[in-house]
Amino acid sequence: MKSTRRDLLAWTGGAVAGMFFTPVPWKVLSDVSIWTQNWPWIPQPPRGPVDVKETTCTLCPNACGLRVRMAGGAPVGVAGLPSHPISRGALCPLAFGAHQLNWHPARLRDVLHRGRKSSWDEAAAAFRKAMGEGPIAIIDGRNGRAASALYARFAAAHGGSYSAVRSPEEKALAPYEKWTGVPAAALGYDLENARTIVSFGAPLLDGWATPGRFTRLWSERAAASSDPELRVIQIEPEQSRTAAFAWKWIRVRPGSEAALASSIARVLLEERLVSARGPMPPDTAAQTGIDPEVIRQLARTIVERTPAVVIPAGENESVAALNVILGAVGARGGIIRRNSGADLQVCAGPPGPARAVVIDSAVSWDVTPNIQAEVFRFAAWHGDDTTADWLLPAPGFLEEKTDMPTPPASAIEHRAVVEPLLIPPPGVKSAADFLAEIEPSIPAKDSRSAAAKPREFHCELREWPQSSAAPAPPSWTADWTLPVLPPLSAKLFQESSLREAPAGRNV
Amino acid sequence: MRRTSVFFGLGGLVALALGWLAFPRVLYTRQQQPVAFQHKTHAAKAGTSGCADCHSLREDGSFTGIPKTAACAACHAERMGTSSTEAILVDNFVKPGRETPWLVYARQPANVRFSHAIHTKRAGILCTKCHADQGESDTVKVYEQNRISGYSRDIAGGSAFHSGRGPHGTRMSDCEGCHKERAVDVGCLGCHQ
Repeated sequence: MKSTRRDLLAWTGGAVAGMFFTPVPWKVLSDVSIWTQNWPWIPQPPRGPVDVKETTCTLCPNACGLRVRMAGGAPVGVAGLPSHPISRGALCPLAFGAHQLNWHPARLRDVLHRGRKSSWDEAAAAFRKAMGEGPIAIIDGRNGRAASALYARFAAAHGGSYSAVRSPEEKALAPYEKWTGVPAAALGYDLENARTIVSFGAPLLDGWATPGRFTRLWSERAAASSDPELRVIQIEPEQSRTAAFAWKWIRVRPGSEAALASSIARVLLEERLVSARGPMPPDTAAQTGIDPEVIRQLARTIVERTPAVVIPAGENESVAALNVILGAVGARGGIIRRNSGADLQVCAGPPGPARAVVIDSAVSWDVTPNIQAEVFRFAAWHGDDTTADWLLPAPGFLEEKTDMPTPPASAIEHRAVVEPLLIPPPGVKSAADFLAEIEPSIPAKDSRSAAAKPREFHCELREWPQSSAAPAPPSWTADWTLPVLPPLSAKLFQESSLREAPAGRNV
Repeated sequence: MRRTSVFFGLGGLVALALGWLAFPRVLYTRQQQPVAFQHKTHAAKAGTSGCADCHSLREDGSFTGIPKTAACAACHAERMGTSSTEAILVDNFVKPGRETPWLVYARQPANVRFSHAIHTKRAGILCTKCHADQGESDTVKVYEQNRISGYSRDIAGGSAFHSGRGPHGTRMSDCEGCHKERAVDVGCLGCHQ
């Protein structure tokens, strides 16, 4: 019997049809789908004993307590540490996934010179050359660390300048530093003992200061009550989450927060609602767009239940002065000075003229010095657009031994030493290590803040601050809503509603 | 027409034979364990009284898995007998202090979270429900690894049609079946976190 073309086609058709009644197509489809989920380059947690380590988050200055689940010696999960005195077990969404950041595709692993791959030797040679040609400026992202002291000493030894970027919470306390000489880093809000909190746009329930501190306080003393034990009054142009959950929300004309603070202080002094005496603020009620009678009633409400404290969103001298009028400065339930304060803070100033600028990896990616200089920027992750001449890979999340000073605005002194939980990839170096290699014996010089010694903390106003004066332009732009993180993480962080809204959003 | 039907049927039969008989042999690699461990012998001679004597839970509820070489060395610091298996264990792993690279049949992928403590302590499920009678075996079975997915056949093998055939106990369909049987709904995120 001779096979024909028709026989072959029939046989093939039968085989194809029969194949569908076997596991072949279905099993191959299933296995291929699994295979695509396990590409060789996808990092897999190592197999090994499971352990839990307690540590401190280093992603932002708020230093929340972490419980890190370890498998085979590597972090595989992050949760809040309930015993932490400030964060009390709460975390921002970014911290919950922070153990994965070190494997982010934007992780910096190579030295880059103007976008081209370079080496540490070339970077060191360029830095030494720049040092020989002029002063250097060092910008620190977090003052008060051991590295900060090294930066300050290094800068001083070479006639340069040391600067530190401040968080919005720390900026809000800056006027008291100006008026009393006590460093803002040594001050904190005693919210736990306050009975009325007036927020001038501070995102108290949206990630202000250490996440969890205020949210827990609010949930315990203010939530779900028409007459809460803790009254939260939010003064803000738009209904943010904080405004929505506040006991009272006062809609204010954008940019007129200082005018409203002056108006409230004027009512307090006119009606003798407070014991403090001070310069009479100007009548600026018309600038706020709020009925003067509403302002009068608001002032009475604020002092109805004391201690009362006022919190601005950033540096605002008029709002700070309102706290002085309320007697909230240096008082229980107001702004207090912590015991040891800023002993480890080093003197910082604006960046001076420099031939080279070193930017620490804790500095927000969008901070750009407004000076013409060769920029050596340390970062763990690439943030895309940068004017830095040198991009130097720094240790990532929990990859280096470091210390975390007391979080901004905290009433409790809390310093943490953070042990590394991961070995950094090869070719990664911190700015402090880089500088120490450039000059192994940095001369010891006491650059600690002279105002760190304990002393009485009280504040008196000689004249009412000029609320309408425009703030001086900063030496750099700093926005903590864009931390030193990959764009995707920064986006998640912003959209988590746990951080302050961008400055222009409410205007 | 009849001739065409015959060839069509023959093609179908060949495909069925290849698909059901040859395909599984091609799909899986077969590997022997590094040491021919005998559960039954150990239970009898070492006087172990149950799985938990060697495969225990830590205080925090995490599972210790397979004992480390140090545990074997408690008895096998020197050769106990003349078998080749004994020589492999002592010479290759115990004396050099190396961990035995056991091939774990039920090892779940990284996207699966499984707690032995919840299943054995809270639900009271016996080990044999998932691991069959491994604890009473005199031999260790061959480890079969899927060439495409890299998974053990015990966790992702068997029947594609969920017919219950093939090795079973630790596949996702087994988990689903048992949860359904006990009306315990944990959703997707109960295991895949």
